[in-house]
Amino acid sequence: MKLFNSILAVIYREFKLTFRNSYDILSILIFFILGILIFVFSIGPNKELLSQLSIGIVWTLLILATNLTFKKFYQEDLNDGNIYLLHISGISYEIIVIIKLFCLWIFFQLPFLIMIPVAFLLFGNNFENIYLVMEIFIISSLILTTLASISGAMNLLNNKNIALGSSIIMIFSIPIIIFSVSAINSSVELIQPQINILLGILFLFLAITPWISAFCIKIAISNK
Amino acid sequence: MKFFLNPSEFNRISNLLVKPLFILSFLTLTLGLIFALYLSPDDYQQGSTVRIMYVHVPSAWLALLTFMIMTIYSIIGLTFKTPFSFIVNSAIAPIGATFTFICLITGSLWGKPMWGTWWVWDARLTSVAVLFILYILIIFFKKSFHNIEVGEKITAIFIILGSINLPIIKFSVDWWNTLHQPASISKLSSPSIHLSMMIPLIIMTLAFTMIGLLIGIIRIKSEIAQRKQRI
Repeated sequence: MKLFNSILAVIYREFKLTFRNSYDILSILIFFILGILIFVFSIGPNKELLSQLSIGIVWTLLILATNLTFKKFYQEDLNDGNIYLLHISGISYEIIVIIKLFCLWIFFQLPFLIMIPVAFLLFGNNFENIYLVMEIFIISSLILTTLASISGAMNLLNNKNIALGSSIIMIFSIPIIIFSVSAINSSVELIQPQINILLGILFLFLAITPWISAFCIKIAISNK
Repeated sequence: MKFFLNPSEFNRISNLLVKPLFILSFLTLTLGLIFALYLSPDDYQQGSTVRIMYVHVPSAWLALLTFMIMTIYSIIGLTFKTPFSFIVNSAIAPIGATFTFICLITGSLWGKPMWGTWWVWDARLTSVAVLFILYILIIFFKKSFHNIEVGEKITAIFIILGSINLPIIKFSVDWWNTLHQPASISKLSSPSIHLSMMIPLIIMTLAFTMIGLLIGIIRIKSEIAQRKQRI
């Protein structure tokens, strides 16, 4: 029960810290809209072409927006020593990682659920398969959050190479973008197998992320 | 067994190994090139371009083998805390990158006359390109941390994560309908390649393995020497 209470306290702290500067979330949403505009300007206002490319563009921007958030995971907590304080107060690093995954998925990935209909509107798609798109979005955004957690934990002590963290996220998100975009664009009988593959990737990453991230955090703390 | 894990033991035995390996790799490469360029027959469809295979296939095998060795050493290094495995990782990553690069270049040189294009976004080609990027990232990884021990450990974790790509490369030709042909030589069935082409291929593979081993040993020795100097 004590553990449960302390977990709730950590979650409460995360929410409080994030809503104190909630413009952070809003500016990521603005980044998403701006990205759509940039794609429209670079491709041209051809409606048919845009609605063909729309799902790929949305998923590309999702990965780019994930790249912006990976420093949010553990960097500040490591710099002011909070992560070590949480650890000595009885919460293991693995549980901290799981709490962070849950909170940062709500803060930085779930708001895009509102943006997907807006993107559909901007690209002139028909709204027939929007529920399918949202379902696949929830699965793939969870995978992207786990990737951002791994990358954020790996780059805690890296202050020489800016692009490395984004490269880690991008190189492991190749299968996600392949299967989620082709699941939306393919014929009806091919949708379920690809969702199953995505779910398989999700459970693999949910299983390995806590201990990989915790291992990297331990290395960072012992060498800081 | 100590040869694989202990730097001083490695230095002692590799001093004995360098000269024989040099002679062997020279001999096998000469023999293999004579077989590949003069004695092996032309393909009835591909003509003389089939000879690209004798460079392409061995370098692809060695690119995969190098990554596998790095994965095994990373697991050993993280579990038993042996510093030698991190030395091996940082020494042989450029060799693997070079073999992957040779594989990609010869593949696209072979693809132009046969498929009519330098590059297709086919499963096998894309996954090998991802392998190349993984190698490049591994080389960069070590340089981006101030503390070298942290960089080594995190590189090892990244190598273990990246080894997901190896089975994807191996089975990509079976899982998806690709332009790239499936494997001609496998353990379970008799090879679908004629003996007159298989003999040069095997000799060239031996030669490439010898060259890779030789360069690997020299690089590991120089890495050990560099680290001794730094301490």
